Amino acid sequence: MRVACVWVPHFAAAAALRAEPELRYRPVAIVEGVAPARTVVDATDEAWEAGVRPGMPEAEAAARCPGLIARAASGERDVAAREALLALALGTSPRVEDGGPGIVYVDLDGLGALHGDEPAIGERLARHTGRIGLPARLGIAGSRPAALSAARLGRRVSIVRPGEEAATLASAPLELLELAPELGAVLARWGVRTLGDLAELPRAGLVARLGEAGLAAQDLARGVDPGPFRPYASPPFYQEVQGLEWELVSLEQLAAVVRPLLDRLAARLDVAHVAADQLTLGLGLADGSRHERVVDLAYPMAEVGPMLALLRLDLEGHPPRAAIVHVALAARPVRVRAGQGGFWHVPEPAGRELAVVLARLTALVGSANLGSPALVDSHRPDAFALEPFALAPGADIERQAPPGASSRFLALRRLRPAWPATVDTCAGRPVAVSAGPVAGRVLACAGPWRVSGEWWREEAWARDEWDLALSEGTLCRLVLDHRARAWFLDGMYD
Amino acid sequence: MVIPGEITEIVGRRSSGRTSALLACLAGVTRAGGIAALIDSEDALDVESAAHAGVELKRLLWVRCGRVRRQAALRAVDMLARCQGFAVVAWDVGDTPPRLSLALAFRLRLAARQGGAALLIVAPRRIAGAAATLAVEAERRGTRWEGAPPLPARLAGARLGLRVLRSRRGPPAGPESWELLA
Repeated sequence: MRVACVWVPHFAAAAALRAEPELRYRPVAIVEGVAPARTVVDATDEAWEAGVRPGMPEAEAAARCPGLIARAASGERDVAAREALLALALGTSPRVEDGGPGIVYVDLDGLGALHGDEPAIGERLARHTGRIGLPARLGIAGSRPAALSAARLGRRVSIVRPGEEAATLASAPLELLELAPELGAVLARWGVRTLGDLAELPRAGLVARLGEAGLAAQDLARGVDPGPFRPYASPPFYQEVQGLEWELVSLEQLAAVVRPLLDRLAARLDVAHVAADQLTLGLGLADGSRHERVVDLAYPMAEVGPMLALLRLDLEGHPPRAAIVHVALAARPVRVRAGQGGFWHVPEPAGRELAVVLARLTALVGSANLGSPALVDSHRPDAFALEPFALAPGADIERQAPPGASSRFLALRRLRPAWPATVDTCAGRPVAVSAGPVAGRVLACAGPWRVSGEWWREEAWARDEWDLALSEGTLCRLVLDHRARAWFLDGMYD
Repeated sequence: MVIPGEITEIVGRRSSGRTSALLACLAGVTRAGGIAALIDSEDALDVESAAHAGVELKRLLWVRCGRVRRQAALRAVDMLARCQGFAVVAWDVGDTPPRLSLALAFRLRLAARQGGAALLIVAPRRIAGAAATLAVEAERRGTRWEGAPPLPARLAGARLGLRVLRSRRGPPAGPESWELLA
């Protein structure tokens, strides 16, 4: 079995730089605790070179490194970066393992035909880590501990040939294993400086003096896998978060925060070769409540521009009721199959463009007033449903009209709601009608057509319908509503 | 009457048959596989009539503007006309058409040309002016009843006449009058 290890040094600091790329190449320390007793938990290379170390008080770190920028530790930010790293690995291999913060193991068996030899796979993984803002080092070896040690050797991509793990790693310093400080101190007192020194110690003596921890450390030094490979299953959504040190009070400010989150999500979707079909925006508000919006994308996409436009349109219709102090954005990934329209297919709107137009129209007229009309199985007058508009499969031939359909059909224009009418009758038949701007004598009158239904419900209907020709030229449908005991002009033939 | 990238106006008074002509256009386009949009300023579309006229309802986007400002209808027309892929964008302005400046009318024509859609405007009178490539007036030339008036048994249909008011591309093809069934 060949394994690649993707290792991101100073992972908490790298996750912070991923969220704020403008801090790259500047000394940054990740601190936790309550000021002024905050301590450093991680630091970037620049801060590390100036002497900043984990466990150091923030004040001491600032004294050692003038210009040090402190950022609070964020578990959500680290989790998002960790999942981004795992999703990246899943874009290359179907079997990956979560090795802890900043460590991902990738099973390379069978990938040669897809991505080339091991150097090519290593370069591919290293290139993709740069695209998601987490520069990593790669190690490839025959076991996970050996691959991790190779990654920590310092080169961008370190490859250990099969069977040469012990020889290659023997001279590596013991610090590569990142052992517990007490164990490391004991081994240093014994004069153990390299992995080779630790690997050659007798196991019986090691377990007698150091117990299980000593054996585990020696297994790491020898490159022995501690257990079976535990494949990682990707979560049902990708999430990015942004904690804020200030409050956002306008949608413009929110858009400026959401865009980097979308950039990161889009990069994750890109390297995993998937697209998002749903976005969930969770906003933590200053009053302690939470505002969550779910935006269904009519077409799976991974482009930042349309997704940002859809989020903005949704928020304009449903703005948060208080200032925003926390932003979380999740995308549901789906596989997208490449499709190609038929040569004879009628052109249709592009899915992405249509999705944006539909969202704008929804903001304009409301979702209840937009969609495809559909008939419902009911005798109720003017019964219809409005279904979400979706592009049906393309048609390439003239469709047959349904039975009874004729494009030369005298259409009815509905009046919604129906106009109350004043009607003069003679022997029960209307002879003169006045309703809004429509008024005249009845020249011809067909009816009544009596319809009723659903008498067992409150929405029952019972009415007589008349088709009228009025003297002022209108052909209309007049209704006597038996429940309301009133006349209405229901529509006009046009 | 459906001219891609151009504006066609169908005008006529109440019960003239302009809505029937509109549904006939929508039926022809959607049955051929095209996508149509209808911006309905007065929320007047009768879905049953559309189905009887042969409109493929799943290929029709219906924008109901009956309860919102009329300005929304104009914005919806502009948006949909610019969206490429719609074969027809129809705007039923209702019985009280808005004032449409010439600049706005030409802007709509430009949008239709960019998007490639045929823009149909159905109104009681002409509103697009010189921006319209074709303008036809619908008029009802007769009504058929089953049974003798004034007490007929049923409304059987009407005769629809179409008169060309303006055509920048010569006389349009098609009959001048249709027999409509009720």
